[in-house]
Amino acid sequence: VIDVYAITEDGPATLPAAEGADLRMATADGLAAVWAPAPDAREAPEVTLDAIRRHEAIVEALMADRDLLPLRFGSRVDDASAAERLLHTRHDELARALSRVRGTAEVAVRVVAAPGATADPDRALEAVHRPLVRRARAATCRGGAGNDLLRGAYLVPRDEVTGFAVAVGKLQEACPDLRLLCTGPWPPYSFSD
Amino acid sequence: MSRSTSLATSDVALVDLLDRLLGGGVVIAGDITLAVADIDLVHVSLRAMVSSVSKAVAPLDLGEDEPAS
Repeated sequence: VIDVYAITEDGPATLPAAEGADLRMATADGLAAVWAPAPDAREAPEVTLDAIRRHEAIVEALMADRDLLPLRFGSRVDDASAAERLLHTRHDELARALSRVRGTAEVAVRVVAAPGATADPDRALEAVHRPLVRRARAATCRGGAGNDLLRGAYLVPRDEVTGFAVAVGKLQEACPDLRLLCTGPWPPYSFSD
Repeated sequence: MSRSTSLATSDVALVDLLDRLLGGGVVIAGDITLAVADIDLVHVSLRAMVSSVSKAVAPLDLGEDEPAS
């Protein structure tokens, strides 16, 4: 059983040392899946914060010097051959997604109503999401659960992430009734399908 | 330090992290059933994550973290 962390383009790139993981590549049709032997034979790993942090640390180490599609936490297949088959059968879809995220990172923006203020999801959509979409190569949003008015994800060229954050800051200044919570840069988890 | 706001920057980063790793990314198995050992773990360990998750690029209006202006 192997844990798969990311899909990248096939290449001679040296894999980073991350979290002590024994990273290897399975390749097929110009794509590569980065994987490591799973620490146990379970069908899916147990969800713990340590395991989640470790997955993210490995993906981020890979992202430092290559474009990639991150896999969801807990992505396991039987062996490297299964990973190769996956690259083969889903080649077109994966190659297309990979080309879309090339050179980018994902920035998350969550919007809640400022304390004491009244605001609805439409307000967040108009005042925050629309202007940010114009700065992003791609964007997704959903009405958040709970208190969230908006959960937006924006695909931004890596060298524009700082500028994007500045733009978020300006939107915050312009919208005292909203509170904008911005994190990133993330691997493109929201743009991998 | 006391927090007057409900969400610290690091907490937001943790929520966004969980959102992404558990709900985003390429899915390769049909139906992964993940065993979330104990959901309270997330809350109990929030503070433990503070030092390891430092992803806020724009810490905005987050109580005492904000410089006086």
